[in-house]
Amino acid sequence: MVSKVLVANRGEIACRILRACSEAGLESVAIYAENDAASLFVELADESVMLHGDTIAETYLDQNQILMIAGETGADAIHPGFGFLSERADFARAVTAAGIQWVGPSANAIEKMGDKMTARITMRDAGVPVIPGEEIESTDEEEALMAIQQASTRVGYPLLLKASSGGGGKGMRAVEHPEELLDAARSARREALAAFGDGRVYLERLLTGSKHVEIQVLADRHGRTIHLGERECSVQRRHQKVFEEAPCATMTEEIRAAMGKAAVAAAMAVNYEGAGTVEFLLAPNGEFFFLEMNTRIQVEHPVTELVTGVDIVREQLRIAAGEPMSCGELHIRGHAIEVRLYAEDASNNFLPAIGPLAVFIPPEGPGIRLDTGVRQGDEVTPNYDPMLAKLIVWAPSREEALQRMRRSLEEFVVLGTTTNLRFLRELCDVPDVVEGTTDTTMIDRLWPDGWSPSVPVHIEDAALMAAAVGESAGLHRLRSTPSRRSDDPSGPASPFATLNRRYP
Amino acid sequence: MHHQFNSPDGPVDVTVAKQGDDWILGEHKAVLESDGRIRIHLANGVSGYATVAKVGDNWWVHFQGHTFNLERIEPGATQGGNDGGLTAPMPGKVLDVLVEEGQSVESGQTLMVLEAMKMEHRILASATGTITDVYFSAGDQVQQGSVLLAMAEEED
Repeated sequence: MVSKVLVANRGEIACRILRACSEAGLESVAIYAENDAASLFVELADESVMLHGDTIAETYLDQNQILMIAGETGADAIHPGFGFLSERADFARAVTAAGIQWVGPSANAIEKMGDKMTARITMRDAGVPVIPGEEIESTDEEEALMAIQQASTRVGYPLLLKASSGGGGKGMRAVEHPEELLDAARSARREALAAFGDGRVYLERLLTGSKHVEIQVLADRHGRTIHLGERECSVQRRHQKVFEEAPCATMTEEIRAAMGKAAVAAAMAVNYEGAGTVEFLLAPNGEFFFLEMNTRIQVEHPVTELVTGVDIVREQLRIAAGEPMSCGELHIRGHAIEVRLYAEDASNNFLPAIGPLAVFIPPEGPGIRLDTGVRQGDEVTPNYDPMLAKLIVWAPSREEALQRMRRSLEEFVVLGTTTNLRFLRELCDVPDVVEGTTDTTMIDRLWPDGWSPSVPVHIEDAALMAAAVGESAGLHRLRSTPSRRSDDPSGPASPFATLNRRYP
Repeated sequence: MHHQFNSPDGPVDVTVAKQGDDWILGEHKAVLESDGRIRIHLANGVSGYATVAKVGDNWWVHFQGHTFNLERIEPGATQGGNDGGLTAPMPGKVLDVLVEEGQSVESGQTLMVLEAMKMEHRILASATGTITDVYFSAGDQVQQGSVLLAMAEEED
């Protein structure tokens, strides 16, 4: 039984989980750092408890403090979301030891899949194909660098350096030539150490021209392990996904069946429970290789939800409560695309940006879903990940889904902070995207010297005119400085706010 | 009314005039709507709503799927030139300083490594020249816009 869920996360995914709890009739607890006190997710929970401490390590990563809050609030389950403590086996173990239900797989399964080398061995034993690669066990800097150099000759170039306990592109470096290896290795180790407290890296052959295709799996305690089809997430910048879709445009029934079978085998090999994702590289010849298994909910889970009709987070809660999963026979219907809206300057090497969300007007209409943790008036700070929202569209066909995405991105207004909106909009017109022939190197290949927007002259004229009219008319003096944190009652977007209330 | 904005291609002069409810810029026309948006009618027949917001000195404008960040140059203000200073693009922490004062550097060479938003960012030399000052060391926190290093560009 589960009746009260503590969500050990923040932002967009915390909102997603808290809403699922509300729909499932479960009580919810949010935990938040002081600099998140005004964030949306804090409002969505039945109870919210502030974490003491300043850094991420002292707040969202402080296992003892989180367990104490769970005890004090009487939470009987903890949902870790993604990132933070979601793939920390020691935390899963501590939660279970405290008599609290962990919403996710066992600590043992997290351990086996979390350590990339163990995962590879487990997968090879389960008959799932893996990419050539080697783990560097040494923690000593000089020894590790020497081992990396030796391993590189066996793995071959181009190769990829990855943090052993990594994810999200952190601690990851692509190395094309041997002379770049040592610099890249030092930097990857340093970033891995800072982000995960573990500087170990592993080397893997970089398979060019491949698609990143992943299979969503669900497993319950009643002996059922199923897959929900694939997602394609090949379009990446800095090894982070920006454009994801389901199904994969070039997928065949045969490959889907084989990949699905391999993913289910992977899950069963570690007695998996809950929702997980098995990632593969799909080579142009149809061969596929196991990359890694993410033992948690993923950022891009909504595209699978839209084409299967399965509420994956709701199923996670059901499975954690010991109930059988509720979905019956699955059919893939239509096409879904997700883009990640980041506060970043796409025209300057995707550098993160900060600022106020002075105006934040998401698109509306049929087939559109927005998962976000921010709203107009919020401040984008350097404290956390710069992802502002996920915009997801569904349509009967891939072509219509792309058209819907183009329209949605043009309607989306974000002012006050630089975002990648225009970059995402232009992505929708790239021939590889239109044809569905994307691969993991597409962005670097298309824009080797960086991307910059193409702006028609008349559009720029209109913008300059609008700014001049705004300044001349004193529009900025009619509206207060938009900020949720100010006590301004008129709200950020209402320049002529009046209150016309009639009393009978 | 005359205004000057900074665009990526340099300062742009814009003069708009008011005629009744309309604002006029050459053949283009604009109307301020009661909800604060600006209805634009361009000479080429294109029309649509612009959403605008001023943050600090900058006008942010959204029009037909494009977003602009236009810095307004206050009348009489002098333009600050680029003195060769290399500034922090984000608040963050200095992870590594790879050069020292007096060192010659090539264009594109990594000078400093910063960490911001849990990612590493490299500060690169924008030209070939000599490092004249290094203002921070590894472990220091830096604010957005902090001048990190100074260099003298090599004369061609």
